Order: sequence, then C-alpha cells, then structure tokens
Amino acid sequence: MSKRVVSFTVNGEAREIVVAPNRSLLDALRTEAGLTGTKKGCDVGECGSCTVILNGQPVNACLVLAAEADGADITTVEGLQAADGTPHPLQDCFMQCGAAQCGFCTPGILVAAKALLDRNPAPTTDEIRFAIAGNICRCTGYSKIIDAIAMASTAQEATR
Amino acid sequence: MSDNAIIGKSVKRQDLLAKVTGDARYVADMQLPGLLYARSKRSNVAHALIRRIDTSRALALPGVKAVLTHQNVPRVLHAGSPHPRSASVTCDQYILDDKVRYWGETVAVVAATSEEIAEAALDLIEVEYEPLPAVFTTDDAAREGAPLIHDREPGGNLVLPPVKTSRGDVERGFAEADLIIEGEYEGGRPTPAYMEPNACMCQWDGNGNLTVWISTQTAFMVRGIIAEVLGLPLHKVRVLVDHMGGGFGAKQDLFQSEFLCALLAKQTRRPVRMEYTREETFLGGRTRHPAKIWLKQGFKKDGTLTARQARVVFNSGAYGSHGPGVTIVGTGALSSLYRCDNVELEGRCLYTNSPIAGAYRGYGVVQTYYALDIQMDEAAHKLGMDPAELKLKNAVREGDIAPSGHPLIGHGLEDCIRRGMQEVGWAALRRRTRDSGVQRRGWGMGCEMHGSSAYPGIKEQGNAIVKMNEDGSVVLLTGTAGLGTGAHTALAQIVAEELGLRFESVSVMHGDTDVVPWDIGAFASHTTYLGGKAAQLAAAEVKRQLFDRAAELLEAAAGDLESIEGVIRVRGSDRTISIRDAVAPRKGVPAAQLVGSATYHPTKSYSFAAHFVEVVVDTETGQITVLQVVPVHEIGKIIHPIAAAGQIEGGIQQGIGHTLYEDYQIDLKTGRSLNANFVDYKMPLSMDMPPIRTVILETAPDPGGPFGAKGVGEDPIVAIGPAIANAVHDAIGVRFRHYPIRPEQVLQALREKQADATAQNEEGVTA
Repeated sequence: MSKRVVSFTVNGEAREIVVAPNRSLLDALRTEAGLTGTKKGCDVGECGSCTVILNGQPVNACLVLAAEADGADITTVEGLQAADGTPHPLQDCFMQCGAAQCGFCTPGILVAAKALLDRNPAPTTDEIRFAIAGNICRCTGYSKIIDAIAMASTAQEATR
Repeated sequence: MSDNAIIGKSVKRQDLLAKVTGDARYVADMQLPGLLYARSKRSNVAHALIRRIDTSRALALPGVKAVLTHQNVPRVLHAGSPHPRSASVTCDQYILDDKVRYWGETVAVVAATSEEIAEAALDLIEVEYEPLPAVFTTDDAAREGAPLIHDREPGGNLVLPPVKTSRGDVERGFAEADLIIEGEYEGGRPTPAYMEPNACMCQWDGNGNLTVWISTQTAFMVRGIIAEVLGLPLHKVRVLVDHMGGGFGAKQDLFQSEFLCALLAKQTRRPVRMEYTREETFLGGRTRHPAKIWLKQGFKKDGTLTARQARVVFNSGAYGSHGPGVTIVGTGALSSLYRCDNVELEGRCLYTNSPIAGAYRGYGVVQTYYALDIQMDEAAHKLGMDPAELKLKNAVREGDIAPSGHPLIGHGLEDCIRRGMQEVGWAALRRRTRDSGVQRRGWGMGCEMHGSSAYPGIKEQGNAIVKMNEDGSVVLLTGTAGLGTGAHTALAQIVAEELGLRFESVSVMHGDTDVVPWDIGAFASHTTYLGGKAAQLAAAEVKRQLFDRAAELLEAAAGDLESIEGVIRVRGSDRTISIRDAVAPRKGVPAAQLVGSATYHPTKSYSFAAHFVEVVVDTETGQITVLQVVPVHEIGKIIHPIAAAGQIEGGIQQGIGHTLYEDYQIDLKTGRSLNANFVDYKMPLSMDMPPIRTVILETAPDPGGPFGAKGVGEDPIVAIGPAIANAVHDAIGVRFRHYPIRPEQVLQALREKQADATAQNEEGVTA
C-alpha cells in the first residue's frame, strides 16, 4: 500500500506525517506523532482509553483512520496543560480527588471530560456519567472521577 | 485520634502528575532504535499434540526477522507462578510445548519490523494438530478415565493433593445442632480486565546482559524465573517496571511472552516488544478460579454455630498457576469469619482444558465467603433471626485463631457490623413493609476478613533502604510495585512521618531490580503493611544516625531529641537545628552519609469489612440494580484516606461486576472463547455504579504493620457479592447460590416461585 501524507493540527501544532492508508489515528498519534499519552486499551472502540477531541468531538482514535483526520484539529491529553505547564483544572481536580489510580484510562477520560465541559460548562452528575459512559476505568469505581469532573466544572465557572 | 503529621492525610500522590499529563510511560509507550514487534500464533484447539509446524513461509515474508516454535526454544520445565519458597509453585509449563492444553495457547511467535508484518506472518505458519479428548469442567476432569492434561503428581488432573483442614469433631457438632443447613454454591469465571494489556520489551547488550521492561507486579520473580529458564545469573537480568496499568493479582504470573521476547531479541540482536491485544489479554491472561462449594453447617436455636463442613473444588484451567495457593487460602478461609469449634474442610483444584485461572484480588476467598455468608443469611431466616445479629453473634474476635494459625487482634469484624447497622438504620430496614410491585427493593449485608501478606504459605520479607541527602531530603529505595494504588506515596508518608520530615522531602526509587532491594512483589494486600514496615524500620535507622550527629551539634543526648517537619529539637527546650543543617557539609567536613536499611519478616494481620447494600429487582425484566453500598472497613490505621477509599470503591466495582454480569465464557464442546472483548464481557461502567458511602475504622491496629496499618486491597471485593445476593433475597424472596446472577435466572426463579405458590394454594383448596 502506498503511503500518504496527512496534515493536521495536534494540540495547536501543525504536523505532517506519512502513514499507510489503513493506519489508525491512534497508531499514527502514538507512533508517527510520538504522542503516547493516548492509550491503546482494546483497539476496537470498546474501552475509550484512546479518546481524543477531533474537530470538537470526542472520538475513539482507534476507530478513525489517520487519513480521515487530514486537515483536522485534534486535542490529546498532552494538549490539556497551559503553555506554561500549568495543569488544566480537570488535571488538578483529578489529582486532588484521587480520580486516577493506575492511570491507563485517565488520558481518555480527561479528554472526554474536556469535550463535555467545552460544550456544557456546568453539567449535572448524570450528564457527567453519560459523557464518560464509553470510558472503562477498572480501578476507581468512577465516583472520584465524577467528583473530579464536577469540581473542575465549578473551578472553571468560578474563573470565567 | 492521631497526632501524626503526615500519616492519615491525603497528601498529593507522587505518581499522578505524570498520569494526568500523559507523560507517564507504560511499556507500550517506549521506543528503542531498531525495535522489532512480536506477535503470537495461538491454537484453535483446546487439547492436542502438535504433529507438524511449518514456519518456512512466515520466515520468507519480507520484514520477518525470527520465528520461534517448540522446536527451537529451550525445553525447561518451570512454574508460571514463580514464587520462591512458596507452597504454590507448580512446575508444569514450558516456554512452548508440543502439546496444546487450552484454546488460544501460544504455539509460535514472530518478530518483524512492524506489527502488521508480524500479524500477517502468523497466518503463514502451518500447524497440524492431533486432537485429544478435552475436559472443561471439574466434574469431567475428575471422572475416572478422564484425559490427563499433565503427566505429573498427584495425577487424576489434580493440581495438588487435596487440602484438608479440621478441628474439633464435626459429627458431634452436627449431633448437637437444632438446625442443619447444607447447600451447593458456584462461582463463575470473572477476569481482572486491567486496562493495560500485557506488554513486555527485551533488549540484550553486547556483554550478554538482558534488560526487560514489563508490566508486572513481581519484578524480582520475573527476574528469577527468566534467569532460571534461560540459564543466566541474576546480575545478567535487569527487570524495569515504571508505571503499570493495573494488575489486580493476575500480573504476578509469567505469560510466556517474557521468555519469548528475550529469545527473539537474542536471536535477532535487536530489541523486541510484545503487546497483547485485548483479545489476547483475555485468552492468554488469568481469570478467577471457577469454583463449586458444598457447605453444611449446624446451628443451635440461639444461632450458635456447632459445626461446619465444606468441600471446595476449584477449576485451575490448563496450568497450575496459583491453583495451590488459591485452594489453600480459599478453603482455609472457611475455618474462620464466623466462630465454630468443629470444622472439617477439603479443597481440591483440578486441571481442565480451560483458560488459565490465576491470582485475582480475593484469591479463593471471594468464592468461599460467597457461600459462607449466604448460608449464614439462610440460617438466620430459618432461625427467625436478623442476619446481621446472627453474624455479629458469631463474628470472629480477639484471640480467635485465624486461618494463618495465630490469634486475631481486636474486634474489627464486630465493629464493622455494628457501625454498618447504625449507618443504614438496619433495625428499621428489617421492620419495613416489603415492596410488592414490579420494582422491589431489598437490603442485604455481607462480611469478610482478609489477610495482609501471604503468610504462612509464603514466609515473606520486606526490604527497604533509606538514604538521606546532604540537604536533608531522603530517597526511599523499595522493590515494591506500583500497580496504581498509590502505595509508593503511602511508603513515602511513612518514611516522612518516621523521620519527622516534610512529605515533599521524600522521593521513592522503585522498579529497577539492579538498584532497589529485593521484593517479593505486590500482592496479598501487603505492600503498605510489609513494604511500609520495612520502610519505617529503615527510616528509624537513619533517624538514629541523624540524631547521633545532631546530638553533638546541639550538645544534648540523642535520646532527648525529636524531629518534626524537618526540624530537630531538644525535647522541652527551644534548642533546635534543621535536619538540613544537621547533615550539611561544613567547612572541611563532608556531608554525613546517612543510610539505613531494614529487613522485615511479618506474620500476618487481618482486615475486616461488612458491606450493606440496597438493590432493586425489576420483576418483569429480571434486572438487578444496586442502588447504594455502605462499606465499613477496619484497616488498623489509615495512611492515605483518599487512596484507601479508592481501593474500596474500585473493589466494589469489580465485585458488583462478578456478582451480576462478569463471566468469561468458553464453548463447552470446543473450549473456544466466547466473549474475549469488552462488549460481550460486561463490566460495570459509569452509568452502572451506585453511590458508595465508605466508612473506614481504625479500631484494631496491628503492631505488625507501620503505625498499626493493615491491608485494604483485596477486602472490598469479597463482601459485596454475598451482600448483593442477600439483598436480592430480601427483595424477592428468591435465594441465589451462584454468581453471576443473570436477569433470565431471576425471571426463571420468580416463575418457579409463582408456580410453587399456586400449587400450594390449589393443594390448600382441595384439602
């Protein structure tokens, strides 16, 4: 298969990578773009560990072809921190609440939560649960994750 | 209750910044120049001899660098669960064998320049099998004349000779009983389903030293078994573990990929990485042991237990793994929890051509306490007693002999039951009118106890080295693994507390077998208990050296000194010196070299829990929904409240899972896996989890643990199961004695109950 050039913006940076047409966006991000924060937990769209924001929408990067992302604007977990390294309120609240344990699902859940707060800055608990319903966490029982997202929403609202 | 400065506070966990920023590196995130990718070819038969295996077409594929089969790897018999000095070592595995013992077993591996090429090469490997008769259930495996899966002692597909425990006289006990209850209970096949699929990467240097990056709970055991099987001295094998994406017990085993990666790397003289797919993590991973338990107990009218007799059969799957340990611990647990003078227990563990069962949080006790606690609930109903009161009456307490053989400390179980009854208003709940509509709510409670450390099965040992730097900061060197529980943060808290340092002044070095002291691995709820105590002892040694030095500077006796928040003070005076100044270099005098090391040999402590659960059962769909959980745990001393609560909430999530949904299934004709994915293997997700109101007690601290602390990792997964089953009985009056309890079984049981009631009514009319 002849490779093709794909251009996209990741975390505000324009990138150009060369990939096979059947390469998933997940593999392209992890290997060609060197962004390993996005995790591969199942590779078939069942666990949400690879959630990224693609043109404003949270998606499983394992279910998107890299070639489909040509021209797209992508946010991964590496793009949550401010330019000066200050953690995003979601990242702060995850640390404070103990919302991460092994940390493997954490990048995907943080990104799914960011997508939620971007479109709904003050979600209800049920809306939070629903927004991360596609993200499997096996360590925490979810309650501290839900608390952390609610806390981040409040923190963001307070600074608005 | 405590005046500790750092212990008992939810300090900032040291691993979380890396985890929330995406900077934390897991094995699959690491790149090495020239890296090759390895994949496994897995069998599509459950029991067979390999007659012919042809790799020539795979080797001819451009990009393929090496292919290994049983024909070109060393043939060394070894244990999959390589615990040294343990009763549970079962030498029954080869790196690759000419016999296949379960559907999905690895028969060949390929290393290639890309995953895609390696994957394509698998299809080019031709394997010709001579099928053998297969057995999938313990009943079939135990039958006279059943095909033997292994040719080893004690024979008859037994993994180990039957485990027998007894005390008192059960016959006399049953003769004295006013009520005798017996029943059969059955546990399914949940899997840990950690989020990070198994991964390992190997590289040899030019001097014949092997480096292994791996997601494991037991780095030193991985080192030991790799060295043993590959014939290397220990200093030639370096095992590195940084972050790992969960293990829950299962990542104690070797998965054969470790040897195969090392051999592929050696042959190709390039680094090789093997990542399991999610499907492979099911196929080649480890499950909880499916179990069948026959249990009989005798009671006096007042609820006093007079006798307990049990026969437990565990399904080990194709290899022994933790079968012996699980059988000993799971069966032995039935000697305790509820006091009984006359006990007779037998545990068996059988090979079958099924997925390999291994260590998984709760380790045999999940299965046996499910049976025991449900039967206590049944007894309470038959005796006309409140189940919580019956359990409280019989709860083990101070001085009772634990399964480990030594006396229990304190009244932890009674404290948990009493506190839970208060929290939920249990007495009033018992008196309430039961629902009669479509949706019926019910309350249930379940109890458990679990040991910290694997004593006496394994005589454990915790080691630690504490070094103080010339600015007064400290590094703890520990071999304990960080599965994600926050254990390293807890260890740092313990060191800071002992030394009187600020928490921020302590860092933890771990995960490098060439650097840190030997450790047995993270399992048996023992890291904080055992590794923490060793760290505390090593810190105490540094403190002694520090005070000797400070005593000279302060012109005081070392025994009169105390240290708090980085400052050493002569007790009862205002003479102080900072720790930093006490160790710093001064003109012409180098900094003090303060190093303490400690080895700690624990016995065992027990933690306790009582879980109170409210469920609602939909009598039209059979759906059981957990509405709320109030877990009460007694853990001696809380080191990090948020991390401890996180363990409890996560354990409850997995426990709800195996009680209501999770069951890894195989086709009972072929052994083929039926649900090796996250859609068909259903786990509780964010929408399914109920509110959890956790209560943690510190009423029975154990002097064997740091500051009295005991374990908490495994406890929460044990009590939740029977609590749910008992709540379902409270809701609909149907007794389930197995897990998972499926909606169709609820409907079926309700129909049968209805039919029985109708039949009885008709009988009443005709009479």
